[in-house]
Amino acid sequence: MAFDANTLRAKFPILQLEANDHPLVYLDNAATTQKPQVVLDALMAYYTTSNANVHRGAHYLSDRATAQFEHARDRVARFINAPQADHVIWTKGTTESINMVAYGLEWCLKPDDEILITSLEHHANLVPWQQLAFRTGARLRVLPLTSRGEWEPEYERYFNEHTRIFACTQISNAIGVKTPIKQMLAAAKAVNAFTLVDGAQAVAHYPIDVQALDCDFYVFSGHKMYGPTGIGVLYGKPHALEVLTPVQTGGEMVSHVTYNSTEFNVLPYRLEAGTPHIEGVIGMATACDFLAAQDRQGMIEWEQKLARYVYDELKFHTAIEIYSPESDTTVVSLGVPGIHTMDLNGYLDSQGIAVRAGSHCAHPLMAQLGVSSTLRASFACYNTLSEARRFCDVLLEAIEILGDD
Amino acid sequence: MTDLNRDAIQARLQACTSKEATFKELVSLSKQLERLSDTEKTEDNKVKGCESAVWLIEHQENGTCTFQADSDAKLMRGVLLVILSLANGHSKAELQAMDLVTELSQFNLSSYLTSSRTNGVLGILKQIQA
Ligand SMILES: Cc1ncc(COP(=O)(O)O)c(C=O)c1O
Repeated sequence: MAFDANTLRAKFPILQLEANDHPLVYLDNAATTQKPQVVLDALMAYYTTSNANVHRGAHYLSDRATAQFEHARDRVARFINAPQADHVIWTKGTTESINMVAYGLEWCLKPDDEILITSLEHHANLVPWQQLAFRTGARLRVLPLTSRGEWEPEYERYFNEHTRIFACTQISNAIGVKTPIKQMLAAAKAVNAFTLVDGAQAVAHYPIDVQALDCDFYVFSGHKMYGPTGIGVLYGKPHALEVLTPVQTGGEMVSHVTYNSTEFNVLPYRLEAGTPHIEGVIGMATACDFLAAQDRQGMIEWEQKLARYVYDELKFHTAIEIYSPESDTTVVSLGVPGIHTMDLNGYLDSQGIAVRAGSHCAHPLMAQLGVSSTLRASFACYNTLSEARRFCDVLLEAIEILGDD
Repeated sequence: MTDLNRDAIQARLQACTSKEATFKELVSLSKQLERLSDTEKTEDNKVKGCESAVWLIEHQENGTCTFQADSDAKLMRGVLLVILSLANGHSKAELQAMDLVTELSQFNLSSYLTSSRTNGVLGILKQIQA
């Protein structure tokens, strides 16, 4: 089916809303995406036809809920091309997934070991590693990727015999640039480091193949890919998941317990203590199916076209500085020196346009760019060219109104 | 000293019937706020938890409080002007007895209060009452 944003748009009820007396223009998709009717229906259907606790068996509803819950694992595994559903662990999101790895690998770090991240990370892929370094005496090192995100041969030396863990985002949330993930993963593997890829900003846009990436861990959130909040995934290779110490213990993750000992259950249950977010899991699987059914190539070309349109409209405006790349991105992150991004945001909001002004949970990157915040418009499959145009027009109006002293 | 006529400010903001009108009014009000000098914008005077930088200085004379405030964002300077129009000229005890959130909502600024998770207005009010 050929990609058509308007057809797709009709499947997202919230996009019909008005905001501040104007049609809602939702361009804050990197923060969270809106949800299609099929996902909303799946959540409702779960509670109206199947609600019961899972894995407790023994009655009709529980069997239904358990079957749907485990089927969802298959669907999400297929979505990222994981070889087996057991390699997909449910978490509450990217942040929890990364923390599970950062705590779960604590046993393997000692002073003089190195944890390597990049300068384009969200705080979620920075603070857990920094704190792990504090706890273990290991060193946190930062690969200084530029805002163009390209690989430089001199980066090679950041990967050495001390590197135990390499964690990197696939796409920067703040400026939308792709990182040179293939080269970095190859360099990390050459020194036998554990590798983690933060896919939070990638999953909604690009088909993901964890086997082709060949990373040890891949993490993402449901809410950034048209699914519900409070659900996410920690994918891992079996050997990598096996060596993680469970951060949370309790019910469901055990096979036998005495007062003196506990035998942990097998994967994936060993890393899923307590009653899971069942409807979230089902909603997330539905979002994966929704995405998989689209013309993915047409979709990403469309999203990139919208970002490129904004880039081209604004690039010659002398008041505006754009921090995002010109092409191959779905994000336009910009600033207007002399005008605070919160003020620009305030005017855009008054016109019904939702964007994000702030540091995007990336303080070190903001420092690198020499700003304290940026204004970010981030596109999704349901955005239209007229929305992109309206964003540009209203932004220029805002500059006019705010730039007069 | 900035002329902070509370009633006049309130009338201007209450006349705004759209978010756009409120925005423009706040930008216009922001021009009345007396700016702080760079030497007054110290780390100590900074209010924590605001997405835009906000500085707040308190003076007390014969039991009466006078505040000066500044921000690098215009909208925030407009909001600060409103806050100062409420707070200046009162004693600490009077300020502590005031329900500043309710008072502020009478200025048609409730949406600026609900977004306080990022803009830190509640933190400013707390500091004024501390
Ligand atoms: C690149 C990146 N990593 C991690 C996160 C954290 O995701 P979550 O808040 O869903 O845990 C985000 C969300 O903004 C992100 O963009």
